[in-house]
Amino acid sequence: MEIKATQQVELDPFDLASLRLDQSFIETAGVRKLLTTVPVGKPNSQDFVRVHPGAEYRETLAAIEWKEDREFYVVVPDVAKELPGECVFVTLFTAVNRQGVARLWPVKLPGPDGRIIEWHRSAAEAAERAMRGWIRIKANHSLRAYEIFEAVATVAEPEWPDKTFQELLRIGFRDRLISSLDHPLIAKLRGA
Amino acid sequence: MLDALPFREVVLVDFEFIASAGERPEPVCLVARALRAGRTVRLWRDEFGPEPPYPIGADTLFVAYYASAELGCHLSLGWPMPARILDLFAEFRDRTNGRETPAGSSLLGALTYFGLDGLGASEKEEMRSLVTRGGSWSDAERAAVLDYCESDVDALGRLLTAMTPRLDLPRALVRGRYMAAAAAMEHHGVPVDVDTLGRLRKRWTSIQDALIADIDLDFGVYDGRTFKADRFQGYLARAGIPWERTETGRLSLSDDTFRQAAKAYPAVSALRELRSALADLRLNDLAVGQDGRNRTILSAFRSRSGRNQPSNTKFIFGPSVWLRGLIKPPPGHGVGYCDWAQQEFGIAAALSGDLAMQSAYQSGDPYLAFAMQAGAVPAHATKATHGPTRELFKACVLGVSYGMEAPRMALRIGQSPFVARSLLQAHRETYRRFWRWSDACVDCAMLRGSLHTVFGWHVHVGENVNPRSLRNFPMQANGAEMLRLACCLATERGVEICAPVHDALLITAPLDRLETDVAAMRNCMAEVSRIVLSGFELGTDAHVIRYPDRYMDARGQVMWDRVIRLIADRQPALSEKSA
Repeated sequence: MEIKATQQVELDPFDLASLRLDQSFIETAGVRKLLTTVPVGKPNSQDFVRVHPGAEYRETLAAIEWKEDREFYVVVPDVAKELPGECVFVTLFTAVNRQGVARLWPVKLPGPDGRIIEWHRSAAEAAERAMRGWIRIKANHSLRAYEIFEAVATVAEPEWPDKTFQELLRIGFRDRLISSLDHPLIAKLRGA
Repeated sequence: MLDALPFREVVLVDFEFIASAGERPEPVCLVARALRAGRTVRLWRDEFGPEPPYPIGADTLFVAYYASAELGCHLSLGWPMPARILDLFAEFRDRTNGRETPAGSSLLGALTYFGLDGLGASEKEEMRSLVTRGGSWSDAERAAVLDYCESDVDALGRLLTAMTPRLDLPRALVRGRYMAAAAAMEHHGVPVDVDTLGRLRKRWTSIQDALIADIDLDFGVYDGRTFKADRFQGYLARAGIPWERTETGRLSLSDDTFRQAAKAYPAVSALRELRSALADLRLNDLAVGQDGRNRTILSAFRSRSGRNQPSNTKFIFGPSVWLRGLIKPPPGHGVGYCDWAQQEFGIAAALSGDLAMQSAYQSGDPYLAFAMQAGAVPAHATKATHGPTRELFKACVLGVSYGMEAPRMALRIGQSPFVARSLLQAHRETYRRFWRWSDACVDCAMLRGSLHTVFGWHVHVGENVNPRSLRNFPMQANGAEMLRLACCLATERGVEICAPVHDALLITAPLDRLETDVAAMRNCMAEVSRIVLSGFELGTDAHVIRYPDRYMDARGQVMWDRVIRLIADRQPALSEKSA
């Protein structure tokens, strides 16, 4: 085998700095996590959560709580007007737990009679406290209210989802939006 | 194709040599082909001169297959090292690491992989026997051996042509540079106390029963020389030690299980050493040369991470850690054992860019720092005040590096799965950036089919992919890069490295130079950590042993003491008998 001499280029195995390859796989992997599920409901009693303090990450809406499945349905205002006594008003807060799972946390507002129910008041207080620190709530049936436990240790700040509240709402209530009186849930409420 | 190689000369080199156990290679003949000059040199052992018969400057590419063998011959002959080395073995391993190869990774295997013609394996064996036979060779035998050697050079040329188009030449030269360091380390070897080794070899069989009886006093698990699993189960129950089980529900008796358990329950260590010694120890295989040095081929780039993978039975740093007590510097010398402090944690912190992790590493005690960051201990905690909690967080850090999940970690730390899960969760929450990066590493590998280190050592995603192994690859393989570079720098600066040991290096020096050389070694290790980790420096530790002291691994101390005592006990009786 005979080969020709070629123009020499300096290849220096001692010039390590120029040979180093990048290891920043986060930027180069080209993969992002898709948020396809946003649970709706109060956090479970073992979960420490934070609530997004931004006003743009909460909204008060009309909703129906279907007790059988313990599920909330959002009702559009025009339909809500037609369903007096069936709808409740809830503030939906955006919360995340320590594992970074985002959820929409509905906290009921006082009813038309203005009566304050301790369950709802304590839940609202918990949500507000969760804007500043990690808390978990536990139902105390003797107290008829939620007990609030606050993490006193230094815990890392939450990682918020990179979605707008509208997007979270769309994902969370994908199958549970009542936008007309023809919705099967309304029919069921009317005894159909 | 080869005219693309930017060198004035390209030299293909192959030696035939005698490699007796523990000895330096003894060159028998050499064939070298200068491709550009179109010249082939064939030299028999009595024709070797003071210099190699080919250029070795920076404008010449020295090409070999498993180059540390050829470079070891250079050292045996007192020849200088080539400046630019291309090892096609290392490049073949890089190209196929993680993939199946149809015929292994030998020269023949590489030729087969590329569909090239190779010398028949049977003929190769016959020729090797002729070389290693030694003594004198007839003219016909000399010609046959030289022809055989030249046929390997022919094969090397074909392989170079096939591999050149996809060679990452700049980084291939970095790997080639390491083969020179590997040759130097194989040349030096590890100093061994040959007198004690001789006594051990002589008495090993006769002391085994006494050794079992002695160690088993604490366990009660042997029946004669048989390890009884049911008795071991009883021991575990008495001692309150949880133990991993196999899928069929039996106690796992693998060495790995014993090794992991010994970390949480050190009492088990002596039993592990005993089992390992009885099952695997072949003292006669420990390769020690006439000069009292343990030498064996380091098998560079053999492992998936690119680390060395020397034979467990031939290498003094095999799995029987008590045997390392045989390492003893010769009179007037000392040895230094230098290692990086928490190397994997430091690499993970630096490469992932996780600032909390970096801060924990730089605290000097990452395990305690992790416990503090997770809020498990107060800011004024120390190893003395919060030792047990620190141990839990240490187990978590080590477990994470192996991709350990809660059930196995629970066994390892002797706590409930809930505690293990909480620890793992604390790691995920405290080091979020690291976890994102770690997930991205696996994503990258699965999407692109490979991962690579800072100097381009690849692992390819084969058919039987193990995500845990992929996740750990950046730490292990960049750790291997670091070790190789440290070996290069130190050997080039005149430090005598005896052996690389995973993430550590054993060096030797005359006593008057020992401290200086240990410092030089540690400087090299710090320097290469900055190179690999883009400026982030890893700390190092050093343990210095001066003659007449011996090296000892703390994990093997109990076993070593018992073995030595048993040998000493038998000495008088045997002397009387022989008298």
